[in-house]
Amino acid sequence: MMRSLWISKTGMDVQQTQMDVTSNNLANASTTGFKKSRAIFQDLLYQTVRAPGAQSSQQSQLSSGLQLGSGSTIASTERVFTQGTLQQTGDQLSIAINGLGFFQVLMPDGSLAYTRDGTFQTDNTGQLVTSAGYVLQPPITIPPASTGITVGTDGTVTSTSMVNGINSSTTLGQITLNTFINPPGLSARGEGLYSQTQSSGPPTQGIAGLNNVGYIQQGYIETSNVNIVEEMVNLIQNQRAYEINSKSIQNADQMLSKLSQL
Amino acid sequence: MSMDRSIYVATSGVKQTMDAMSTSANNLANVSTTGFRAQIESYTSVPVTGEGLNTRAMAVSSTVSSDFKPGPLQPTDNPLDIAVQNEGWIAVTGKDGKEAYTRNGALVVEQGILKNVQGLAVRGDGGPIKVPTDTTLMIGADGTISGTQAGINSTTVQVLGRIKLVNPPTKSLERGEDGLFRTKGGGAAAPDAKVKLVSGALEGSNVNPVEEMVNMISLAREFEMHTKMLQTMDTQTGKADQLLTLT
Repeated sequence: MMRSLWISKTGMDVQQTQMDVTSNNLANASTTGFKKSRAIFQDLLYQTVRAPGAQSSQQSQLSSGLQLGSGSTIASTERVFTQGTLQQTGDQLSIAINGLGFFQVLMPDGSLAYTRDGTFQTDNTGQLVTSAGYVLQPPITIPPASTGITVGTDGTVTSTSMVNGINSSTTLGQITLNTFINPPGLSARGEGLYSQTQSSGPPTQGIAGLNNVGYIQQGYIETSNVNIVEEMVNLIQNQRAYEINSKSIQNADQMLSKLSQL
Repeated sequence: MSMDRSIYVATSGVKQTMDAMSTSANNLANVSTTGFRAQIESYTSVPVTGEGLNTRAMAVSSTVSSDFKPGPLQPTDNPLDIAVQNEGWIAVTGKDGKEAYTRNGALVVEQGILKNVQGLAVRGDGGPIKVPTDTTLMIGADGTISGTQAGINSTTVQVLGRIKLVNPPTKSLERGEDGLFRTKGGGAAAPDAKVKLVSGALEGSNVNPVEEMVNMISLAREFEMHTKMLQTMDTQTGKADQLLTLT
């Protein structure tokens, strides 16, 4: 009986975790470049209380055994890196990735992080930085006299400026994209940033448009890939499963109370 | 003398109902577990043999088998999620190194090897399936895994292997203590080309909440009945004691 109580507790636990994951997805339904997570459950170990073929008497055997499970647990929360919708912003420094790659940025502690959020700005030195102020790698510096920036689908950044009344353009550099063999293995650092782990493997730097790394689209942002309908359905399922597991705790409790009234 | 014997029959009822309740609780706890197969539990009556008349039979709770009905398909749009359509199993290598079967097709690539989300390597037609770096995977309905690799000409599709799919008779399968299924003899089942996969979807748990809730209610009532029996025995013995008391 105590066993039932604990089993149902694990059931409520996993639903609680699923709820946390769903809430986080819904909270980020409008976060640029956000990738939804999902929780995957598995059953816990089973205990063979009685193996099949145990003696029921000296002459007879029981044909089936008794195997009691011990509930469920979270196998993992997995990030789903499906493409979000590209939305036009008209801002020349909004750059979206259509495909697998990630932008590489330099963190203040000297480490590298990866992001899909291409809402870039310039800092006081003219360098391209993310909205949180992390410098894009390789760095691209926009000259003060620049009148317009063009980013090609291969990531080449060109600046136009007026020199002596004549329009001239200079190439400032190229934005590269990084791919990973196993993106779900990346560890999320918050702020839309990810770091490489053993499971994700090291990044492979590539040129946009080549080798499957994706294309770069200037003037667009990638919206969150959270599907509200899907999350709402999850929420409904989740709530009911939670209730059902709490019912089984109540049931176990009532049985125990009957026992104690003997 | 009769009291102690009948009271044990009632006690066995109480104890077995509790075990049955655990099974029900476990099924309900796994109502959201990917590819879970509900446990089926039933009672066997075991006559008590010994001196005197054979008047007593104890109930023994057993988990006789599992429910092998397919669960609902949940689309996920993730190319590495697979679900087995209708009957069949995905072969993985259990922690004991032996072949085991699961319906949980949430796959990941870890250190270049295709595994399921529990970290168990998926079995291919020739050992584990190796995935080269920077490969985008596609899984076909027959379990064939093909990939396009960045770096090389990205339109070239390489076949990396084929997931071993089996469909042994369900009677020959048993659930191990790790929740995976294996053949009763421990041998490997032959691949079955008729087993079909759906890519971009997972199979939910096949626990039927209605059945389990009703089962639980009936167990709770059975339990009450057994405790009532215990109380009755107690009262009867009290009465008998009173008769024998010398006043």
